[in-house]
Amino acid sequence: MDAVANGHKISIQGVTKTFSGKRGTVTALKDLSLDVEDGEFLVIVGASGCGKTTLLNLVAGFDAPTDGKILLDGQAVTGITPECGMIFQQYALFPWKTVQENVEFGMKMKRMPKTERLERAARFIDIVGLKGFEKNYPHHLSGGMKQRVSIARSLANNPKVMLLDEPFAALDAMTRQVLQEQLVRIYEKHRKTIIFITHSIDEALLLSSRILVMTARPGRIAQEIVNDLPHPRNADVQLSSRYMELKRTIWDSVQSEVMKSMEVETG
Amino acid sequence: MKVDSTAKSLTISIISLLIFIGTWELVCSMGFIEPLFMPAPSKILTRAIKLIDNGQLVVHTLASTRRVMVGFIVSSMVAIPFGIFLGSSRFFMAVFDPLISLLRPLPSMSWIPLSLLWLGITETQKYSIVFMGSFAPSLLYIIEATKGIDPLLIRAARNLGASKLDVMREVILPGALPQIIAGLKVMLGIAWTCIISAELVAAREGLGFMIMNGKEYFQTDTVLLGMVMISITVMIIDVVFRKFERRLLPWTR
Repeated sequence: MDAVANGHKISIQGVTKTFSGKRGTVTALKDLSLDVEDGEFLVIVGASGCGKTTLLNLVAGFDAPTDGKILLDGQAVTGITPECGMIFQQYALFPWKTVQENVEFGMKMKRMPKTERLERAARFIDIVGLKGFEKNYPHHLSGGMKQRVSIARSLANNPKVMLLDEPFAALDAMTRQVLQEQLVRIYEKHRKTIIFITHSIDEALLLSSRILVMTARPGRIAQEIVNDLPHPRNADVQLSSRYMELKRTIWDSVQSEVMKSMEVETG
Repeated sequence: MKVDSTAKSLTISIISLLIFIGTWELVCSMGFIEPLFMPAPSKILTRAIKLIDNGQLVVHTLASTRRVMVGFIVSSMVAIPFGIFLGSSRFFMAVFDPLISLLRPLPSMSWIPLSLLWLGITETQKYSIVFMGSFAPSLLYIIEATKGIDPLLIRAARNLGASKLDVMREVILPGALPQIIAGLKVMLGIAWTCIISAELVAAREGLGFMIMNGKEYFQTDTVLLGMVMISITVMIIDVVFRKFERRLLPWTR
């Protein structure tokens, strides 16, 4: 499978995305280029409305770029692809399916035999710690549990890349922490390439191997930080001077972008 | 507490019904109302017993119920897949929209002359009236229901590898099912309106025929008995439908 032209897992090349509506044209992304390496945990930080979600939607093939191109393993992304598993902030579980059936969904779509499907679903439900909840419907689960089902559903489908769009933003602080730790363990075990979007600097520092700060609209990359914090990123690491230093750097960069976007809105 | 208040409401309802029937009986027996205009409940009951004895009541009730069910089931079986298909395709919606818009305002009664010309006084003609009366409105209900689906779920399904057909079967159908069933419940009532009007015009059996026949012979008690039977049958079917609904929608419990 080394038909990879430039060796990157994902290569975003000069992508521009504009939306035209009744109130004129909005440029969400402008001439954005970035590469994501195989097995990398990339976190993109940016103020709301900077086009982070637009970027993920383009990578997942939900939307096509106005200009430029996106390559996955050297192949251009031309439509919705199950190779890029998306995790949504609002979970997007099927309410009429049980936990088990939700996790089986992608495999069912691939027409995988029932026995194999059941076995795989059971394994991934166990990985996210939801054993015993297989027969429950989503509305009986808490937000944190729903997001775990959504992660299991995506993993069971074995995507090359996982795209997470502010997945923990709607959860309370404690649940968020548990899920962050769980995601890190899953990442270390399965070594999926991950693109994770957040507006929390702490979350970015805890999870990532690399951080990108995006500019206010139109979205471009303002800063790139290789996260060299040691693992596991426990309380000691979070109190270290290196952590504080990185946090300040990112904060300065995010803050100036927030200011700029506010000026645009008021001006 | 909940059980108590439900039991209380039920008791009140039963008492209210008894008072209503009692008053009706009293007013009639005291001779305030000409029996030809409004017979007493006891007269209707006597007529019911007579018609149960000779089997007529069962024959008429079953005839109407069968016609409603056949017409309604066929209409739903066509309207559900077609509605989901139209609801998820802009192109075909645009193609069929003018035809549906033309059919929708037509009351089922307006189809009776044409259906009689085409099919005669037959069972097929009865089914076709129920079908024509319920199809277009059912279709619109179903199209509306498919539009209420959260687009995020469709996105998630596509992202997990679902084809467009998979999305219709696995996401749009189950997602729209609660609204579809709610719509069909209303349609079932309309189907009864259709069949009774068809039977009033031309039939040899059925509750509509029984009512019309009662009128011909000045048997007002038969007329009222027919009307009561329609109410009771629709209520029974509604209860059955509700049981069926719970079974179809386990996740809403």
